[in-house]
Amino acid sequence: MEIFLQLIYSGIALGMIYAVIAFGYQLTFATSDTLNFGQGEALMLGALVGLTLVDRLGVNYWLALPLVGVFGLAQGALVERIGVSPAIKIKSEFGWIMSTIALGIIFKNVAENVWGRDDLRFPSPLPEAPIKLFGANVLPMELLVIAGAVLMMLSVEFFNRKTIYGKAVVATFNDRDAAKLMGINTGLVITFSYALSSLTASFAGVLIAPLTLTGATMGAVLGLKAFAVAIIGGLTSGMGIIVGGIILGVAETTTGFYISTGYKDVPGLVLLLCVLAIKPAGLFGKSAIKKV
Amino acid sequence: MNRRIHLSVLASLMLATGLAFAADPIKLGVSGPFTGGSSSMGVSMRDGVRLATEEINKSGGVLGRKLQLIERDDEAKNERGVQIAQELINKEQVIATLGFINTGVALASQRFYQEAKIPVMNNVATGSIVTQQFKAPEFPDNYIFRNAAHDSIQAPMIVEEAITRRGFKKVAILADSTNYGQLGREDLERALGSKNVKAVAVEKFNIKDVDMTAQLLKAKEAGAEVILTYAIGPELAQIANGMTKLGWKVPMIGSWTLSMANFIDNAGPGGEGARMPQTFIQESNTVKRKAFIDAYLKTFKPKNNRIDSPVSAAQGYDSVYLLAAAIKQAGSTDGVKIREALENLQTKVEGVVTIYDKPFTKDDHEAITANIPIFGEVKGSRVVYAYEEDQKKGADLRLKDAKKAPAKK
Repeated sequence: MEIFLQLIYSGIALGMIYAVIAFGYQLTFATSDTLNFGQGEALMLGALVGLTLVDRLGVNYWLALPLVGVFGLAQGALVERIGVSPAIKIKSEFGWIMSTIALGIIFKNVAENVWGRDDLRFPSPLPEAPIKLFGANVLPMELLVIAGAVLMMLSVEFFNRKTIYGKAVVATFNDRDAAKLMGINTGLVITFSYALSSLTASFAGVLIAPLTLTGATMGAVLGLKAFAVAIIGGLTSGMGIIVGGIILGVAETTTGFYISTGYKDVPGLVLLLCVLAIKPAGLFGKSAIKKV
Repeated sequence: MNRRIHLSVLASLMLATGLAFAADPIKLGVSGPFTGGSSSMGVSMRDGVRLATEEINKSGGVLGRKLQLIERDDEAKNERGVQIAQELINKEQVIATLGFINTGVALASQRFYQEAKIPVMNNVATGSIVTQQFKAPEFPDNYIFRNAAHDSIQAPMIVEEAITRRGFKKVAILADSTNYGQLGREDLERALGSKNVKAVAVEKFNIKDVDMTAQLLKAKEAGAEVILTYAIGPELAQIANGMTKLGWKVPMIGSWTLSMANFIDNAGPGGEGARMPQTFIQESNTVKRKAFIDAYLKTFKPKNNRIDSPVSAAQGYDSVYLLAAAIKQAGSTDGVKIREALENLQTKVEGVVTIYDKPFTKDDHEAITANIPIFGEVKGSRVVYAYEEDQKKGADLRLKDAKKAPAKK
């Protein structure tokens, strides 16, 4: 039982790492139907900028968080202006895919030149000794990631439902042309959503960096797993991201223990295929009827 | 008259270019991962190679020609390695290639050098089959050499340390899913088998995995007293960190990659005490070693005066001198002649790992034998001698033990 509990804990912690990254995919999809495939790289940049602030400049970890957030905002806006908005303007269906991937690669190369190629250690702001919780161990940092993920979900839901800006975002998603006619600057809304998405990504980067390792290549695998989480949970639901993350994380750890560590990635990806086949909008997603 | 002058000018020009051609540099390829998870080995190896090349060029080069390095980043990817091999052979026309950190890349790329009859000097990749890929009798000549402790040396050393010297009964093996990890795991299982021990848990993981809970719990549940590893730095660090998280601490003994800087730095206190076979420890206990370490630190200025991967740097450095000696003896840059010279080196080459006295023969392409590596231990974020007696004898160079060669597969 203790073993099972430990697996569940680790699975949830792992799932939450995926979930905080997956939020970023959701935010841009919510306005423009596009995804930033450089999400993993935004995460990596956030983590590395955070590392520079904390390690080199001696900024307090908690103080570094908002600074990294500002950096993320700027980075996301840049991606949208350079890569996505030209594609949207000419109504290109796929242009943004290539340009966000390309920008991601550029960011990775820049990071390799600025921060070097090795994986670096991010000093943990919380004690590194594990806490015993109902008979199984959990790291304080993992609890922080979980708290961060839940907080992000709540604030995104709150933003979309309760604020006037959030309503503009929802309106832009529902019908871009109608929203435009109603006086919403949809271009700005989309730019803003990219900025926000990179903000969450870089925030996530600083949050998870003490648990994973920090380096120019950290974004690739995590970004991909997070994408799977976003698809499983549904690209339109904050709740779905959390549940999707937990499902994928727990599936990985339990399969690793009970079946074989060689196959631990398989069940999550099989689930992804099933979701795509049965409920393409995701477990919690609303399926939108696309009028052509 | 005028025309004659023109002609003679032309002739002397041609002569001049002809001479310049003779003094063209000798091109050596260098292939290794200079980015990514195994870059601390790749970059240290490259820097060692650069250092030796610079020294040789300063003292006049080889055959009156300077050595020129053509460095390529193979990113630890097999397909990149293959592309680079073709580029180095066909476009750059190198006369030999040094390098290969990753066994998989070595196995994928070597075929092209073998076909082109261009010698390859592996100076880091340790997979047992690296030098056996083109063995007689199927292949009359083998162009693949190695100056590194291969896995069939390392695996028995690891097992000897765990079972015999430290008396552990239950062992778990954790290896990554690359060629390196899985071939190493086979070697470990074979070595354990010869001591009639069966691992209580054999687990694997992927590069870039961030959670090792499942693997470690399986080892813990099976009652493992020690963890034997075959993986590279970042994931090894995740294993150490995972043990800290589970509040379960057993010794880690593994392949030489436990000496990588990115393991030591990322594992922090969790990595202390890890032990691994090493051909070279960064300690200035001979004149040659002191000169090498001082020059390395001065030229490349690594953080905290610690070479990221001392073994890779030392083996890289020595491999250039071995090759230079062979080119000198061959008196030519022809691949066949260099191979023949390597297989029958007349001069003793004084390196930093050991003194190479007839390091290779026709059937034995391994310069390092089982008696050369010793155990290193992570202590205070550096790799030091694990045993005092090894440290005391550190200055006595351990020479190749020809009796044990050729290495059995």
